[in-house]
Amino acid sequence: MGAKVRVVERKGRTFLEQLYLLEVFKGMAVTLGHFFRNLLDNSRLYVRHYPEVRPEISPRWRGRHRLTRHEDGTVKCVACFMCQTNCPSNCIIIEAGERFDGRSEKMPLRFDIDLLECIYCGYCVEACPMDAIRMDTGIFSVTSDNRESMVLGLEEMLRTPGAFDEDSYQKGVR
Amino acid sequence: MAEMVKLFVNGQEVEVEAGKNLIDALQVVGIEIPHFCYHPALGADGNCRMCLVGIEDGRPPLVPACKTPAQPGMKVLLEDEKIKKIQRDIMELELINHPVDCPVCDQAGECTLQDYYMSYSQQDSRMNVEQVHKDKRLDFGCGVVHDQERCVLCARCVRFTRQITKTGELGIVNRSDQARVTIFPGRPLANRYALNIVDICPVGAMTSKDFRFRQRVWFLQKDPGICHGCSTGCNIYIDHHREKYGDDVIYRFRARTNLQVNGYFICDAGRLSYKTENENRQDRTLVDGVEVPLERGIEAALDKLNRARKPLMLVSPDSTLEQLWAIKRIATLYGAVLSGYSDAYVLAGDGDDYLISDDKAANRAGLQLLDIDSGKESFAAALADADLLVNFNNDLFFSPGNEDLQEALEATDQVSVCSHDRPAFSRATVILPCASYSEYGGSIVNRNNVLQRFARAVCRDADPCDIIEITRLLGGAISDNARAWPGLRQSVPALSRIWPERIPVEGVTLNSSEETHVGA
Repeated sequence: MGAKVRVVERKGRTFLEQLYLLEVFKGMAVTLGHFFRNLLDNSRLYVRHYPEVRPEISPRWRGRHRLTRHEDGTVKCVACFMCQTNCPSNCIIIEAGERFDGRSEKMPLRFDIDLLECIYCGYCVEACPMDAIRMDTGIFSVTSDNRESMVLGLEEMLRTPGAFDEDSYQKGVR
Repeated sequence: MAEMVKLFVNGQEVEVEAGKNLIDALQVVGIEIPHFCYHPALGADGNCRMCLVGIEDGRPPLVPACKTPAQPGMKVLLEDEKIKKIQRDIMELELINHPVDCPVCDQAGECTLQDYYMSYSQQDSRMNVEQVHKDKRLDFGCGVVHDQERCVLCARCVRFTRQITKTGELGIVNRSDQARVTIFPGRPLANRYALNIVDICPVGAMTSKDFRFRQRVWFLQKDPGICHGCSTGCNIYIDHHREKYGDDVIYRFRARTNLQVNGYFICDAGRLSYKTENENRQDRTLVDGVEVPLERGIEAALDKLNRARKPLMLVSPDSTLEQLWAIKRIATLYGAVLSGYSDAYVLAGDGDDYLISDDKAANRAGLQLLDIDSGKESFAAALADADLLVNFNNDLFFSPGNEDLQEALEATDQVSVCSHDRPAFSRATVILPCASYSEYGGSIVNRNNVLQRFARAVCRDADPCDIIEITRLLGGAISDNARAWPGLRQSVPALSRIWPERIPVEGVTLNSSEETHVGA
């Protein structure tokens, strides 16, 4: 094998370094340096002021799910159960029924995603043959103080708009 | 044993049964010949051309396998490039006007077109003109919904109504790509076997209104079972599924092939009888109308049995041989009169000459084998005399006719061991829930003396005990099916040589001479 071998000099073997005490003080100096610098002027902090300053979400970020509609307002989902079949955490529960809006024969009567069980892998979006489920709402923080409200229903998913325009979403997906 | 012949498939020698056509003969040895229109019950039609196979040095060199009997020395070509091209082309033709709406099609997952596309075609459509559109969601009656666009015109459904039910409601009208399966105007399907059409349709053109969109088939667990709708004992598949956070629910029954019993089909009533397994179940133990744990219910029943001077035990003609034996044993233990009176299960005139029988009890022959008296006079006399009636899931009011017993029943203290919440059981002071036939296993004998064995399929949350377990809790010695058999073999001559684990899947016909001996 003609792999190049580079011998790296091992550091930390000098007497002063082996004493440790000096190194501890040097480390402390760095920490305290940051502390006093930020205490005097916090405009250069490396920390995001989270609730006040929101992070930029890119279109390919997998956020909370939503269900999309056709231009005429009809639901795109045809309740084919592909997302439920593909879901590794088994958090999607669908009930299907007859459909009479001329789009297809089948539509979901119930479409629940348990966000406590969802692992946000995006397999449901990949499996969907209708582009009916997307994770482009930009919602990354889903919190609640009870389990029941963490189950996302059909209505709520249809109500939530996408956070990005179509072009940038398609670019992100591709 | 059928005569065997040797022939060659792709140069390899195989031994198959003589007289069968190539599709059936080669299927036994694990060689699949694709086909749409051929069905063993409906015979060869030869219209789909999917089963064309090459015969080396044959005249003609290309034959439909469904119409060609296996002959010795035949050299069948399946892996030939020419044959593969034919299969690819037939698939392309079938798919020209197919809507490919698999996401909304109930057949997806058990669809011949899907399977054959993956095995024999795998090509993109070359069509650039608009597809021919036909009617969808046509209600053909009897719960059959037809989609003309998905149809491959194999005419299995048409032949079924002509050959099997002899009602001929369906036909194919028009020609070429305008051809479609339809009913005559104003004459929907009207026969008691119509839903078999959904089973035999190789694609999703025929769907069941009852099952439509309720579940995707790949989620269903398909366990073999035996229909308890009547004394024919048709073989079925119990398709059930436990939804997340839900209970184990049966979604449908389908026909399971058993040439000795039901052939390839089952009746619609039996097919839809899965609903009674899901609904109206008795899952609570009640003592004087108050829900209690099972142990308390058993205590109450034991207390009544011990105090009763003349107990009467009533068994159900649906119970398995093992259950009947277990009940018979505890009847002896408590000195109880044992009756199998169940005239209510017989609906005279309801049966036909095909699969449906008048007797709606699954194991009446078993009742007779065990020599359990089922006369009305003796039951009425015993009931008038008895101070306690223990009813093991026998629905006395299954059909009208037992109103005259009402008074005597009301006068008698009752313990009901029942699977369903029905008027016949609700009067009891102690109600013990028990499993229904999809939730236990056992052996039953049908009207033609065929002994069949079935296993447990469904496991619901409530998980009520089997009747055998209840008899054990009531002091019986038999704790499971296997322990009932030594006693059964010893006391029932017809069963003396039967080992339940050796009963073949298609059942075993009990010796009729021994049967007469039992009756004598």
